[in-house]
Amino acid sequence: MAKVLVIADIKQGVLKGSTAELLSKARAIGAQTAVVAIGSNIESLVPELAAAGSDTQYIADDASLDLFSAGPYAACVVDAAGQFGASQIWFGFSESGKAAAPRVAAQLNAACATEITDVIVDGDKVEIVRPAIANKVVQRVKVNTEQLVAVVRAGAFEAAADITGTENPVKLSIPAADLKAVIKEILSDASGEIDLADADIVISVGRGAKDQAGVDLVKDLANDLAAGFGSSRAMVDGGFMAHNKQVGQTGKIVAPTLYMAIGISGAIQHLAGMNGSKTILAVNKDPEAPIFNVADYGIVGDLFEVVPILKQEIKKIRG
Amino acid sequence: MKILTTVKKVVDVELNIHVTNGAIVEDGLQYVINAWDENAVEAAVQLKENSGAQTTLVSIGGGDNTDMIRKCYAMGIENGIHIEDPALAKADASIYANVLKKVYEKGGYDLVITGKQAQDTDSGQTGIMLAEALNLPCVSNVISIEVMDDQHIKVSRLGDTGTEVVEMALPAVVTVSDSINEPRLPAMRGIMMAKKKKIDVMDLAGLGTSADEIGCSSPKSEIAEFMESKTRKAGQKFEGDAAQITAQVVNLLATEAKVF
Repeated sequence: MAKVLVIADIKQGVLKGSTAELLSKARAIGAQTAVVAIGSNIESLVPELAAAGSDTQYIADDASLDLFSAGPYAACVVDAAGQFGASQIWFGFSESGKAAAPRVAAQLNAACATEITDVIVDGDKVEIVRPAIANKVVQRVKVNTEQLVAVVRAGAFEAAADITGTENPVKLSIPAADLKAVIKEILSDASGEIDLADADIVISVGRGAKDQAGVDLVKDLANDLAAGFGSSRAMVDGGFMAHNKQVGQTGKIVAPTLYMAIGISGAIQHLAGMNGSKTILAVNKDPEAPIFNVADYGIVGDLFEVVPILKQEIKKIRG
Repeated sequence: MKILTTVKKVVDVELNIHVTNGAIVEDGLQYVINAWDENAVEAAVQLKENSGAQTTLVSIGGGDNTDMIRKCYAMGIENGIHIEDPALAKADASIYANVLKKVYEKGGYDLVITGKQAQDTDSGQTGIMLAEALNLPCVSNVISIEVMDDQHIKVSRLGDTGTEVVEMALPAVVTVSDSINEPRLPAMRGIMMAKKKKIDVMDLAGLGTSADEIGCSSPKSEIAEFMESKTRKAGQKFEGDAAQITAQVVNLLATEAKVF
């Protein structure tokens, strides 16, 4: 039987939805499940981790793990994988996961696959499915090792409504700090903002907004809908939006229920970061903009005119 | 400071890519330098200009990489190594990392800079696995590199909750985001000079290793097949009176897509 270890996605003390999604998938393929949670002041999350679908919770809780450092993070995962006897180790999509997964794979001499969208287990045979070449093709990849380390693409798996687990916490020993790569600080401007990775609605602004007034107009709509507020590369390069707001292959890959691309033409790298969204609405002046090729609904028009009307009309419906 | 930077020749993602019988149709494809590697080259050249670093690039596979390597020379890279061997045709990230380890050990470097991922695989593993193989510190998704002294650099990385500032002891490996810089366009003088520079081409034996040693005979994973991507279809596009079409779309979002 497959034994799947899921790395809990915890950001600023909050357990993110991807953890239950991955555990749901693990249960759906008939695997035994465990979760490893790494951070500071996270022991209280054990009941939540169990409810998300895990039957064992490996906990590395220490002040030294407060700021992300890939070395110690990977060491905790390797430790938990060993204790659990994991055949598969799954990270949810995150920068931490992308940084740690190849380390874990190298240390375990295991195959590593990132951005996976499916896992197929047939007896001893394991295959994964993943997009490649900026989402232009899909690869089916045969795993030749006994263990697989994977980073799951955002939105690939759905959380089962009836998922549940059992509390069985196991404390991990705390690895030494990485003295050769010392994390000094995290400069964050994201406090209190809605996390793009798990927002139901994401609204992104592009070059069509022109300037700060345009950005503010779109941001106002995002605030109104309690939506995550993202950006195209152009607005980051223009200094209007922070790096951590960029949606696309460089930056955040998102798959919300509704994605609104406002004034975004739709470069390939941007599309690769949002085309897993359930529904896409695009607003753009140029009827030929590539974003309309992926949008379920397209409004050809000036965002300065359209956005206020959007806001008003949505308010009418949502009350 | 001696810098090794990696460059990979990849398929141009701006062009259409088709699949038949589980393989990518080669006809009509064009190849370019991996965009993230171009950022790595630019970062290396800036360190050469600002901190007197020596710069070497290595490229693995890809057939004739002369044009790509000359372009990097024209940007300011001083030395180029190209490893070409039929055994590398289906290499995965761990095999690339093993080859790079040999190159690193042969040359002795203080800093390795790679792109954070390659456009053809979008895997993002090679640089990190190289660091593991060499037991060197590694920071990925880097957006700035600052030399502190002979033995230390300070890097910024885009993390999950903000920009992480990390001090690294050299030798070290960093993988860079395209947010780190804007690669320069080579000047005419550089392009002319680049034509005269030699490229050190070798196979695995020339590198002092073998297909078996770097893991080609027992790959950890293999691509079983390529498939067409399920592309989204263009939906309904509305033109005309802004008030009217916007109201119509919001109505569809609620009744048809059921997102509100």
